[in-house]
Amino acid sequence: MIEDIAGLCGTRLGPGTLYGAIARLEQQGWIEPLPPDERRRPYRITGEGLHVLRAKLTTLQQFTKAGLRRLEAL
Amino acid sequence: MNRVVAHLLARLYPRAWRERYGVEFEALLQNGRGDLRTSANVLWSALGEHIVPTRGGNMDQPANSFGAIIKRPSAFLPLAMSLTALAMVLGYVARYGVVHETDEGTVAHLWQLLMAGQMPIVAFFAIKWLPRSPKQTLHVLALHAGAALASMAPVFFLNL
Repeated sequence: MIEDIAGLCGTRLGPGTLYGAIARLEQQGWIEPLPPDERRRPYRITGEGLHVLRAKLTTLQQFTKAGLRRLEAL
Repeated sequence: MNRVVAHLLARLYPRAWRERYGVEFEALLQNGRGDLRTSANVLWSALGEHIVPTRGGNMDQPANSFGAIIKRPSAFLPLAMSLTALAMVLGYVARYGVVHETDEGTVAHLWQLLMAGQMPIVAFFAIKWLPRSPKQTLHVLALHAGAALASMAPVFFLNL
């Protein structure tokens, strides 16, 4: 997951930061744990998590579009 | 990362957090880099978890723990009633001194109501919680008894 995030955003999360985020996301009910794979624990996004993520990405997309439009006008 | 170092770093987190995430977190640490930056990141996150613990969902305390039981109205109301009765008696003595009257005043009647009124609540609490969680319930009942005795002590010792 750390490698995936580093590839996507260019930022490498520390394990403490990653698990802080995982704990908060799980407590919000936005991700849920799957049965452990030996000592590793996979997680998957929940239905509510999908809904929240879609809304956040839509907001971000609108923000990006508006920002780029204003930049082009300069 | 070295297994022992990973274990020690995971031990920096609060117990409730470790019980939920400890095993998988240690596995992640062991598979990751063992540099100073990683250790500092874990140290900082563990400190944050002590200051602002993750709440809700699986991190909530068990329903039958002492902390959860004492928050039930039937557990804390008798304590509050005893402490209110004690405060009333002490407040009265502080204001008027030790006065022996034949006729009982308002404070005495309120004290009696508070002490007698908590009996059915304590009985309800004991009947409901003793079978579910005997040890924790006995601790709460001991607190009830202690608070009630503390409230009765000035009445008996000062012959009010």
